[in-house]
Parts: sequence; structure tokens; C-alpha cells
Amino acid sequence: MLEDIKERIQEEFGFKTEPYDTNILLVHGEKEKIKDFLKFLKHSGFNYPHTISVVDYTPKGEGFQINYIIENIEEKKFVIVRVNLLEDELFIPSVCDVFPALQPHEREAWEMFGIEFVGNPRLEVMLLPEWAKGTFPLRKSYDFEKHRKEKK
Amino acid sequence: MADISQLGFSFVVEERKEVSGKDLGLLQEKLLQLNWGVQHPASGPMRLKVWIDGDEVVKIDPDIGYVFRLLEKLVEYRSWINAIVNVERICFMDDFGTMTGYSITAEKIAGIEIPKKANYIRTILCEGGRIVSHLLGLGSFVGIMGVNTPMQWALIAREKFLDSFEIYSGQRIATSSIVPGGVRYEPTKKFIDKMLEAINYLEKEFIPRYEEVFIDNPTLKMRSKGVGVIPKEKAIKIGLAGPALRASGIASDIRKDYPYAAYGELDFNVVTKKDGDSYARYCVLFEELKESVKIIRQAIDGLPEGEYKVRFPIKIPPGEAYVNVEWARGCFGFHLVSDGGTGPYRLKMRAPSFANLWAMPEMIKGVKLADVPVIFASLYMCHGDIDR
Repeated sequence: MLEDIKERIQEEFGFKTEPYDTNILLVHGEKEKIKDFLKFLKHSGFNYPHTISVVDYTPKGEGFQINYIIENIEEKKFVIVRVNLLEDELFIPSVCDVFPALQPHEREAWEMFGIEFVGNPRLEVMLLPEWAKGTFPLRKSYDFEKHRKEKK
Repeated sequence: MADISQLGFSFVVEERKEVSGKDLGLLQEKLLQLNWGVQHPASGPMRLKVWIDGDEVVKIDPDIGYVFRLLEKLVEYRSWINAIVNVERICFMDDFGTMTGYSITAEKIAGIEIPKKANYIRTILCEGGRIVSHLLGLGSFVGIMGVNTPMQWALIAREKFLDSFEIYSGQRIATSSIVPGGVRYEPTKKFIDKMLEAINYLEKEFIPRYEEVFIDNPTLKMRSKGVGVIPKEKAIKIGLAGPALRASGIASDIRKDYPYAAYGELDFNVVTKKDGDSYARYCVLFEELKESVKIIRQAIDGLPEGEYKVRFPIKIPPGEAYVNVEWARGCFGFHLVSDGGTGPYRLKMRAPSFANLWAMPEMIKGVKLADVPVIFASLYMCHGDIDR
């Protein structure tokens, strides 16, 4: 199953793939084609999105990494689509019209990391209090001492 | 944006239109916004903004973040072993499932095999945690309709499990008992006996009595059958998880699909229902209790001899892993990244209640106001795990 999809990804999109774990395939995607690619995955049976996991590699000089984790719930297989973003180009097309269930996950990633999902209708503060908007707490540069609520 | 609205999903963008004078009266006649919460008996603190037209719900918008603790960040300041105290605090009801998931992920990166006995103890504890959590879920589902007896019954049954956890680890909740490398304590005979006593009580006393009164209950059926129906395709589309997904007829259970701990060696069934309504979700919880009892009995019978933990190194090699476990509320994903240091570089936790919560606006569209609590409680969410 994963072998088939691996070949089709190679043919249609030319993305590099590598085995990640048993039942999991890792795909190195590109920002421009991400929407088409997720549409392709959805039509290939990977219809249950788990989450969007962002990793901040800026201290290592590698920018941000976005992982879309998607499951094929019938065949019990996973695909992780990985896109790397440069530190000064923090935007990516939103995929919430392909997978509406990913919309709140995009919103959370925006709130915690400041990555703009272009086309997401609702990039608003969700978990943080209103005063902490824009502090991006899950970034490595976040400082508990510095980012405090201002005293009145 | 136009094509998203054509899909029929409401992402609830609030309209901030100024109204005054005559218009205000017209608006109030038409749509009314109600606040539901912040305190809530069926889960933790949250607020629902409910817009109603008469008594029909037009749209609903959850307001969350009241128990936000930034656990994913706090983990980055801890060592591999210490991080379990943050991971288990995702939810106090079933803390064993999350600790197991985190430990498996860390072991996978470190390339460590744990003893068979540790896997069996993890299975016993995880199922104990699931029972404890499901009992509260059942109790609060009926409780939200105004009947408080089942909650008291559930608490009596739950107490016996908490006693056994106390004998095992010294704590009733927040036990910190599962660590990367195995489990922290040897299971004593006293613990096993107490656990057997608890499941005997559950099987002989609680389940038959509860089934008679609160499962096959005509009033409860009238109130919850056909309420919040989610067909199979839609359940996948809006991303439901756990018991709610299984109640829509999808046999998705990580214990069966990607066996971890000792689940691959034990015999149990995945409970599914076809209806996909609130009553089906309630019944899934109840029947999973029976399956959990079955699993605990088998795991106790098959408990092997030998070591219960191995040494986990202070530093583990760079790498990452994504592991799912079937937590009480559904499949919980851990994406853990190591950069070769003494603690996690990044931990992303995929929480099932978060998925269920944001599926709820789609489910509640067009129902009656009185059905909102029923649907809400049937989704069986926990706030620790929505906010993290």
C-alpha cells in the first residue's frame, strides 16, 4: 500500500520519500504544491488528518518545519508530509478547504509559532489570553521572563 | 474563502456589526447569543457561545483556553524521565495512557527494548485508567440531563480502582508510574489483589445494575436517540476521534490497529455502533468497560516473571518518532523530537478531545437548544487535553 503510493508520488509530484517507521511514510513536500498534494492524498484514501506538528529549528539555522500527519483509516497507514519554511518567509497555503478538520490545528500553529496559513478564515487567538497574542510561546526564542503580562 | 463556505463548514467568524435603535430590537428578535459556561459539569471549564433563533441553534463557537498550561513547552525544560510529570497532567482521569505513549515514543528514538513484564503492567494500568475515565464519562452524560445517581454509582466503582493505584504507586491520581524504560514499581500481590477486587466489583455489581437502570432506560433513549447523528463519512470528514468515531461505525482502535504494550497478545473486541447518535456514543463507553475488564483479567493471568524496567540513558541519539496510543478519549498522538540532548527538543501532542471539540460546531447546527448539553456530554471531552 505504502509502496504504491510512494511510486505515484514520485511520478506525479517528484517529491522525495523515505520510510519513517512501520506503517508510516515520510514525504518531503514543497510549499507551492502542498494543496494539490494533500488533495491527491485525500483521493488516494488518506482521508483522516491527525494534526499539524510544527518544529522550530531556528537555533540550528534550519527555519521551521511543518509536518502534516494524515492517516488512511481503512488501511491503517500513515503519511507525514514535511515542508520546510525559511525563517523570513513564514507563510504557507492553508489546506482547510481540503481537510476542514485541520482548520483549528492551523489556527493553533499560527498562534503558537506565528506561521501564516494563507486562506484560513480564522486566524484568531484561541488558547492564549488576548494580551499574549503575538508572543508565539512554542518558538525557541520565547522567554518566560521577558514575555510577561504588563503590570498596571 | 468562497469555496470553503460552499463545503458547508462553519468556521464561525464573528460579525462585529454595530446595531442601534430600531435595528437592535430586530436583531434580538431574530438571533440571540447565549453564553453557556464558563463552569461546566460534563467536563472542565469552558464557554460555548450559542446563537439561537427561537430554540433552534444557528451556530456555536467554543471559547477555550481556561486550563491552558503550555505543557508542550514545559516538557522542553525537563529531562527524558522528568517529562512524564507534564505528560500525565494532560488529564487527571486517565494519566496512564499518555505516559505510556510518551514512554513508547522515547524508547523508539533511543532504540530500547523494554521487558515483557513492563508491557503487561502498562496494559493493566492503562485499562484501569480507561475504566476510571469511562465511569466518569458515563456518569456525567446522565448527570447533564439532571439525574445524579449514576455519577455517585460511578464514583463508588472508581474509588476501588483508585485504591489499587494508591497501593501500586502511593498516589491515587497523577501517579507518575510509567517511565521511559518500563514502569517504576514492582507490582505487588497486594496491588494485583486490589485490582482484581475492583474489577470483580465492576463486573458483578456495577455493570449489571447500571445496565438495568441506565442503559435500557426509556426516558434516556427518548432524550438521546437520534440526537446529534453523525454518519460514517461525515465522522471522518469532520475528524471525530475515539469512542465518538467508533459510535459512527468506524472500527478505529489503535490497540487493535497498531498494537503497543501487550495488546497484540491479548484477546478483545473493538466496540462499534452503527447509529452514530448520542445514545450510541454512550453505549460505546459502557461496552468498552466490559472489554477493559476482559483485558485486565488476561493481563493479570499472563503476567510474566522477570525485570520490570531497564535503565534509560540520560542522553539519547538525535531522531524523532510519531506514536499513537488509544487513550480513554481516543487516539492520542505523540510527535517527539530529540536533538541528542538530555530532554525533549519538541513534543507535539495530538489530542482527541481537541479534534472532537472542533467537530462539534458541525454537529450542533440546527438542533434544539435542549439537545446541546446532550451532544456535548456524549462527545466525552476533557479540558486538560483540549488546552494542554
